[in-house]
Order: sequence, then structure tokens, then C-alpha cells
Amino acid sequence: MTKHKKVKKEKKKKIKTTKIKTKPMKTISRQHFQNIEIGLKCKRSPKVNIRTQTPSTWCPGCFNFQIMAGVQKYVESQIIAGKKREDFAIVTGIGCHAKIFDYLDLPGINSLHGRVLPTCLGIKIAKPELNVIGFSGDGDAYAEGMEHIVHNARYNSNIKYLVHNNQVFALTVAEPTPVTEKGYRDKTTPRGVKIFPLNPIKIMLASGASFVARVFADTEQVNKIFEEAFKHKGFAFIEILQPCIIFHNDAGYKERTYNLQEAGHDKINMNAAMQKAEEFDYNSKTGKIPLGIFYQKERDVFEELLRK
Amino acid sequence: MRCDIVFGGKAGQGPNILTEVVSEGLIKKGFYVFYSRDYQSLIRGGHNFNILSFSDSPLYSNSSKIDILVCLDANTLGMHKKDLKKKGIVLKGEDENMFFAGAVYKILGIDLKILEDELRKLKNYEENIKHARKGYETERRKLKLPDLNKPIQNLSFMNGSRAISFGAVNSGLDYYYAYPMTPATPVLTELSQMQLEKNMKHKTIELENEIAVIIAGLGTSATGKNVMVGSSGGGFDLMTEGLSMAGMAEIPIVVYLSSRPGPGTGVATYTSQGELNLALYSGHGEFSRLVLAPGDPKECTELTNQAFYFSQKYRVPSLILTDKHLAEAKYLIEKSQNLLAVENSIISMERYNSYEHDENEKAIATEDKKIIKKNFERRMKKQLEINKESENFEMFKIYGKQNSKNLIIGWGSTKGAILDAVTEGKIDAKFLQILYMEPFSRKIKPILEEAKKIVIVENNSSSQLASLIAQKTGIIINDKNKILRYDGRPFFSDELAKEIKERLG
Repeated sequence: MTKHKKVKKEKKKKIKTTKIKTKPMKTISRQHFQNIEIGLKCKRSPKVNIRTQTPSTWCPGCFNFQIMAGVQKYVESQIIAGKKREDFAIVTGIGCHAKIFDYLDLPGINSLHGRVLPTCLGIKIAKPELNVIGFSGDGDAYAEGMEHIVHNARYNSNIKYLVHNNQVFALTVAEPTPVTEKGYRDKTTPRGVKIFPLNPIKIMLASGASFVARVFADTEQVNKIFEEAFKHKGFAFIEILQPCIIFHNDAGYKERTYNLQEAGHDKINMNAAMQKAEEFDYNSKTGKIPLGIFYQKERDVFEELLRK
Repeated sequence: MRCDIVFGGKAGQGPNILTEVVSEGLIKKGFYVFYSRDYQSLIRGGHNFNILSFSDSPLYSNSSKIDILVCLDANTLGMHKKDLKKKGIVLKGEDENMFFAGAVYKILGIDLKILEDELRKLKNYEENIKHARKGYETERRKLKLPDLNKPIQNLSFMNGSRAISFGAVNSGLDYYYAYPMTPATPVLTELSQMQLEKNMKHKTIELENEIAVIIAGLGTSATGKNVMVGSSGGGFDLMTEGLSMAGMAEIPIVVYLSSRPGPGTGVATYTSQGELNLALYSGHGEFSRLVLAPGDPKECTELTNQAFYFSQKYRVPSLILTDKHLAEAKYLIEKSQNLLAVENSIISMERYNSYEHDENEKAIATEDKKIIKKNFERRMKKQLEINKESENFEMFKIYGKQNSKNLIIGWGSTKGAILDAVTEGKIDAKFLQILYMEPFSRKIKPILEEAKKIVIVENNSSSQLASLIAQKTGIIINDKNKILRYDGRPFFSDELAKEIKERLG
């Protein structure tokens, strides 16, 4: 409770300085406050703002605000440190996550559903010097684009790839994705989902991803993992557990999580990584959910091999 | 004159290299040469054959009748005997393929030294030369041929695939993305091998599937690079969502589509012109494109160059449509000249959107009805500009008797057989070859209106060009006047001449 109070105070302070033009909605949830607020709370210089003027159409309280703030904080800090806007390229798929393309004023492509990674790869092949960030949803990554994530893990191009995993097709109104838990019901699955979900962390480990991480949709966590991912030379797979507050509200996830690095996990050990990946099966309602870096081991990157 | 030689045998017995060395000998002797390949979808065994045709005047097709039948295996004789001319020569036996090369050189009256020089370019040439000498010395027969001894120069002996690759490289190609699929694969092979040559800047990249191929191609193109992707019908089907995205995001891309008989897996190693409609209408939504159909290797190079030019200038997808026959048959043809300089329309990475977007506002997605309408109109205007500028190019060609009232229409790889049929059959007709399928020249309609009789020749079962003509000009070509071949094989000039004469009456 004390934490909430503290957060509220700071929120008021920030809103004054950043001059948000859009009026807050009348009936606003606490979650909404929290998300916008955490996004704004992080120390960003007023000099650099990569946010476009486009008003957001994410639901009030959506965890995408937190993710965006984490990304924004990282990119803006890099720009302050001397990088240019043009040194980045963002690629999005189709779904709620993809709206981030309109909100971040960076070069890039809002691609097709499922095709984030081939788009990133094409950019990276031509311009290895660009910092390429791919954003996907779980439908995008694990359904329509599964072949691409497996092969891009193998190619090991220096792409930073975020999967906003809210375990539901949110923008098409609540249908199950390959990572939705058994028993989940919506209008298209009146008898409930009967198939066990995929475990993307295991798939990425098995496919040879050189950096495999999972975080919760929290600004600071996203920002920190970004810093780690950009230090890593090679393909970085980052899954973000993101409750969908409308269709798949698993806010309870956060309480079940713990940090692998704090727990002393050996991230260069593939067997240990696989064991940790097994701890959460995307289906169970109880048990611990490990976050942080499961695995990290650098090797030759695609665009450099291409030039050899 | 025309002489046709069939080299037949099992895959792996080397009929291709045999055809090559005989072709080289004939060219050095002064003959015009054309050869096509007929092979099955297998690596060893089966029955493969090449038909090599030559003449003292230019020719671009095979005839159905054989003058010399070279049998590398026992099957070949049985399969081709029926097509052998009365005085046709048969070569058979258990010998090595270069034995037959020597024998054919003797029959054709070509100096053995030319063959030895050719063989020295190959690995293990000593063994091969030994066989060739033996074949040359053993052979006693001789074919009566015009006495030429002036090697043909300034012409290139190449297939469509090499010419496409040549066109791409000379248009500033940076990246070629592909997933192997016959008959588009030879372009991938050519470009991959060309990478190793000096001063070549392009790279070829093979990805997990054709979806990744075109999408990665668009990603690369969006950074300001010249990109081509390639496939055949089935692989191209997978590319169509990317093609549509190129239409919306307005990212330039050149697509090489080489067709084989479909639907489904179809017939992998045979020819068809069945993908004209696919090239014209694939991809959801309404957007501009160019569909260019070369009819010989020279046009392959030139149209590939034009495809790059238009794609970059107007930021639209350009499709180059060939088929297995053109992709793999070898033509002795003029070198391409006057290739256009291709200017890249993207300087550095901008913002691109597959969602409808506001051009002026950082390509941010929109659902505003005014902007949606405005964008459709802007893209439509672009189409009109493309239509206008393309009239400066050879969107069609006319051959034969300019004042004839008989008109033969064809496109793509049927060009060679039609040209030869008209010449050899002494047919009173002019031949209209259409190269630009989209946009479609407005000058074509008057040519059709002037004609008294129209015959159309296509390597497909539904006469897709006739449908396009009907759509673009309102002129319906009578079904009786459609000469269609859809057994996976190209037309033979003699058979086609007979067919055309029948239809013209």
C-alpha cells in the first residue's frame, strides 16, 4: 500500500512537467494510473522524446504502456548518449503490440502479421549498423510466424526481438493463441481450449537462440533487459509476460515471478536453462515463474558471416 | 536449312556437357544454334534429353523431326526412333559421352581440334580427349551441310536465366533472395556463382521459405537497396502477401516468376505459360504493378533492367515472367545494349506501413475516410504515370510481313517457335509479340482491329493472353484460332507452322 501512495505522488508531479494534452478518461482504473505513471516515472530527459503526437488507442491501463515506456527509456538514453534516431529501426507485426509503431518516432516498418523477423533480418542484412528492434505479439510470433522465430534463432542476426505475450488474440477479440492455457473459453471456443500450450522458451533454446530471456510487462524490467540484450551480440529473444486486462488478465503472474539472476542461475548452461524453462508451462495457475536471462552464449552473427 | 540432334540418356550420364561441346563446335564453325532441355524430376537414372537445333541462319526453336539421334542409353532409341527422319543417323553403344562428341563432330564436319580445345576447359580432360578422338576416328558417316567456316562473333550463347541474372546485376542488384524451386533456381545458381567474380557487389540469400524471402527482401529494399526475389508458381503463391504489402507500403521490389505446369506441385521440370493470370492478379487489394514477359535471353536482360527501373522510380512491384523453356533453353542471340541506369528512390530507411497510412504524417496508421480515398487516388495516379512512361519502351514487337492481314499473337517463350514457324513455313502473317502485360499498351488494339484473321499461340490451356486482350481491348479471339499446348512441352516449329496454316486457312 505504501508503494502505491508513493507512486501516486510522483505521477502528479510528472504529469505537470510533460504536459499531457489528452484528458484522462472519467472512469479510470487504478491499473491505468499505475501503468501510465510508471511509464512516465522513469528518468527520461526532457530533451529527447521519441514519442509521436499520435494519441494512443491501447485500452486504458494496458500493459503495453509499460513496455513502451521501457523501450522509450532505453532508446532515449542511447540518443542522449550520442546515437541518432536514424540509428534505430523498429519493426512491428499485427495486433495490439503493433500500435507501438505509431507511437515511436523511429524509422521502421509496420510489417505483416507474423512477419516481424524476416523484415528485421532484411534490414539487418542491408544495414548491420542499425539497431533493429522487432516487436511481436504471441499470435504473431508463435502462430503465424513460428517458422521465422525458429530460423532466426538459428541465423543469429543481431536483432533484438520482443514478444508481447498476453496469451490471447486481443485485437481480434479474445480468441486463443498457441500459448493460451487449456480450458480457456471465448466465443470461438465455447467448449474451451483442449490443447496444451507451447513453451516458447524451450523452443527458442532448442532452436539455438543465443540470448533467451523473459520479463514481466514492467517498465523497469523491460528497460533493464533491453540494456542486457543490446550488450549481447546476436539474436536476443525476449518474451514479455503481459496480462491483457480485458481478455486475459493474469495480473497474478507478477506475484509468482522470481529473477533467475538473483537466484544464481547459470545462464551459459543449456541444461540448466531447459530446466528453468520447464518451471512455467504457460498453463498452470500455481507455481513459480522464472524471469531474467535463461541462456546467453555469443556466436558468429548472420550479417557478418554473409560478408566473410 | 535446319538440323536437329537429340542427345538422350539417363540423368548423370552427362547429356548436358555433350550438348554444350557440340554447340560450341557448331558456333565456331559458323552455325546458329539453339538447344532446349527435357529432364525429369530425379537426380540419377530416368530419361533426359536435349534437342540441339542448328542452321546457317538464326533459329530459336526445335523441330519435331530428328536428323541425328545420340543414344547414351538403350531407352533413348526406343523413345525417339519414331521422330527420326528417314535418313536420320543413330549413334549408340556403350561408350563414354565424349566418344559421341567426337563422332558427332565427325558427322558434322567440325575440326576435332575445336573439340579438344573445349575439353581442355574441363576436369579430367585427358581421359575425355582420348574418348573423343576414338569417337572421331571410328565414325565414318557424314551429314551434308553448308560449307561455313566463319565463326559467329558478337552474339551470346546463353539461357534466359543467365540473361535475367545479367540484367539484374547490370541494374545495380544488391541482394537476391530465393528459396530453391524449379525452374527459378537457375537464376539463384547463376547469381550465386557470379558473386564470386570480380567487381560483383550483389549477394544471394536463401531463407526458410518464400514468405521470408519476399518479406526480408522488402526489409532490405526499405533501406535503399536494389532487391530481386525469385520463385516459381507454388513459391510465388507464398510471396503474394508480401507483394500486396509492397503495394501498400510502397517499397520497390523486383519479382522473378518462372512458371511450370500447375496447379499444386504440378510438373516440376516442364514448361507452361499458366501463370500469366497469377502474375497479373495475385495479392489482395488494389495496387499497381508491372508484369513483363521477355521472349528470349536478350529481352530477359532488357526487361529485367526495365523492371528495376520502374520498380525504383514508382516504388511498385515489378514482375518478370518467364517459364522453364526460356529459363533453361540456350539461345545464340545479340547482346543487350542501352541498359537504363537504375536510380534508387530510397536514400535511407524511412517509415513504411502495411496498414493504410498518412503519407505526410510519418506513415502513421489511419482509418480516416478522406485519407483512405486520397491514397487510393494517389496510387491510381501513379498507375497512369507508369502507363504513360512505359509507352516509351517496346511494350510489344512486330515481326514478319508488316502489311499482312493475318496476325499471329504470342508472348514469352513461344516467340522462338513462332518466329521459326513463320520463316520456315513461309507463312503470310505478321507476328505480334506482347512484352508488357501490365501495363498493356494502348497501341495494341488498332493492330488487332486491322487484322482480318487472328491466331493466338500459348503454352497454356485457357489462353490467358486472349482473356487479357479481351479485357484490355474488348476484342474476343475465336476459340478456333487459339493454338494451345499444355502438355508441359514447348512448341516445335514444324508442328506449329502446320497448325498456324490450318487456322489461317
